[in-house]
Amino acid sequence: MAVVKLQNLIKVYGSALAVKGVNLDIPEGAFTVFVGPSGCGKTTTLRMIAGLESISHGDLLMDGERVNDLPSRERGVAMVFQSYALYPHKTVRQNLEFSLKLEKLPQAEIDRRIDEAVSVLELQPYLDRKPAALSGGQRQRVAMGRAIVRQPKVFLFDEPLSNLDAKLRNQMRVEIKQLQRRLGVTTVYVTHDQVEAMTMADLIVVMRDGRIEQTGSPIDVFERPANEFVAGFIGTPQMNFIDGSISDDGKAVLPSAGIELQLPEGRFDLPALRQRAVRLGFRPEDIVPDGHGIPIENGQNITAPVTFSEMLGNETLLFGRLGENDFVSRMQRPRLVERDETLNFRIDLDRIHLFDQETGESLRLPRS
Amino acid sequence: MASSIDDLDLKALVAAERRNNRPNWPLAVLALVISAVWIVPFYYMATSIFKTTEEYSQNHPLSLPASWHPVIENAVTAWTNAKMASGLLNSMLYSTVGAGLAVFIAALAAYGLTRFDFRGRNLWFMLIFSGTVFPLQMYLIPLFFTYQGLNLLNTHAGMLIFYTAICIPFPVLVLRNFMNGLSREMDEAARMDGAHELTVFLKIILPNCWGPMTATFLLQFTWIWNDLLFSTVLANKTDVRSIMNALQTFQGSYASTGPNVVMTATIIASLPSLILFFLLRRHFMEGMRISTV
Ligand SMILES: Nc1ncnc2c1ncn2[C@@H]1O[C@H](COP(=O)(O)OP(=O)(O)OP(=O)(O)O)[C@@H](O)[C@H]1O
Ligand SMILES: [Mg+2]
Repeated sequence: MAVVKLQNLIKVYGSALAVKGVNLDIPEGAFTVFVGPSGCGKTTTLRMIAGLESISHGDLLMDGERVNDLPSRERGVAMVFQSYALYPHKTVRQNLEFSLKLEKLPQAEIDRRIDEAVSVLELQPYLDRKPAALSGGQRQRVAMGRAIVRQPKVFLFDEPLSNLDAKLRNQMRVEIKQLQRRLGVTTVYVTHDQVEAMTMADLIVVMRDGRIEQTGSPIDVFERPANEFVAGFIGTPQMNFIDGSISDDGKAVLPSAGIELQLPEGRFDLPALRQRAVRLGFRPEDIVPDGHGIPIENGQNITAPVTFSEMLGNETLLFGRLGENDFVSRMQRPRLVERDETLNFRIDLDRIHLFDQETGESLRLPRS
Repeated sequence: MASSIDDLDLKALVAAERRNNRPNWPLAVLALVISAVWIVPFYYMATSIFKTTEEYSQNHPLSLPASWHPVIENAVTAWTNAKMASGLLNSMLYSTVGAGLAVFIAALAAYGLTRFDFRGRNLWFMLIFSGTVFPLQMYLIPLFFTYQGLNLLNTHAGMLIFYTAICIPFPVLVLRNFMNGLSREMDEAARMDGAHELTVFLKIILPNCWGPMTATFLLQFTWIWNDLLFSTVLANKTDVRSIMNALQTFQGSYASTGPNVVMTATIIASLPSLILFFLLRRHFMEGMRISTV
């Protein structure tokens, strides 16, 4: 177990900056997930922690010790690669014991560790097979086994589930999470799938364009996005945004939608926001068609035509229009909706987000 | 509509299909003639070795031999006259060690070219590869004088150095392409597993390269085995000359051996590379297949 500290990490490829100053404390024993759009530098950051990529600038500390120049084999980290990267010419058992043999551990200890990993990962029937004779999920398990037997201080995962089909992915997601809980090993997990991020993480790190946009627990990042980017990135379908301004009496005036919303006290510093140009955001589950889902107490009714609907079985996504703006609404316990049918919706005013139109920063008051 | 499949004239369909698959006789005859012409030299060789010298000179060259046993006498004559034993041993040494070393060094080079990010690595590769671009004969004269100066003429070491060096570039090309296809994450995993660079190379990369290494080894082995030009110029003494060089004793003004003996000697000389090909054929065929997991 270890505390990993990233201090102003920078990575330069040629003359391009891939990581632009990342500061982060990775808590001991926790499951930390890096999430962000493609090319934002998640893998690069992870590989710097792994020691597979040199650190251009900044410090990487593990247990308080600077490890920038330590080769990866001496960092006590183990990694599960996206491609699994198993050794094709070795059997499963040989794949698992490779690192232990290099460490020159006594055979009894090697056997003990392999037996343990094999029983946890249910690899017993495949020990003598070569990787080519395994299914994707089994290879995934071997890759994890190879990491486990080393008893590393830190586990690193780089999109380990992206090569699996949806069902297996859900299953492995749970397994990895449970395994990590059981072993209590500090884990850093990279994904661009925000469902994985939300479900597995103790700590989510949202990255964009080489920088960290927000760090927090899944519920934090979801409920209190620090800026418009995080608000839009976390949550599917994504948050609805409408431009407007704040009136003197604390209303959000949205001319392009033709509505005004009375903002609640306590969530924003309304007097300070008077006449500010803002971007108002609300999630699809916070604009509810009449009679579906839990009735909203502090809400405001609006009517809007539905141009398109997507039936998912347990719910339906309604694509509506508010003036010039498109929005998405989540309909619980769905009924059939005709095309261009006009529905009554209710917006939950207690769950509205405001962002600065220029900077995209959240205008919500900090937690008191 | 539903019963349309029952209404079909199945017999007509079968006949039409058969017409499509009917052999094209003129083409087949042409192919047969070409093959026959192609095979004649082999037939000539295969029959000549079973003839005595008189039998060979009195009958038509393509006639069938009277019996099989003259082959033994032919072989003995060939073996002793050309001192084939020492030629075979020398060629074995040059081909095995030369090709083996060349492929191993090429593998090292390919590893460096695909695994280390250093400046100008494409330049290095082009430099190595340029060795295969020029006609080899170009090296002959400078090599002769250099070897003369270094006292390497007519030595085993001199031949091994030359053969090894000349056989490196082609395997580098093949192995570099092959190793490029091997997942880099695999050796990164090994490095994280605690392996040093040499361990990664020997335990992870090499075992996955047996196919192309065998294939290039075989090709280079045969090239060295069959080389006549360089072995004639650089090593002409009996105790260092190669088998192909040894065969030359049958030629020239004092040679009195009949073609039947020469053919027998030739066949003996080509047996080792044939056997090697046969033994390693599976690896050779798989040579270019990449498997990564
Ligand atoms: N070896 C390299 N040489 C040059 N540029 C690179 C290299 N590796 C990555 N980059 C660049 O660095 C940036 C960050 O890449 P990185 O692989 O870390 O993204 P990522 O967040 O992991 O994306 P993804 O979700 O697609 O895996 C990208 O713009 C990429 O083009
Ligand atoms: Mg990545």
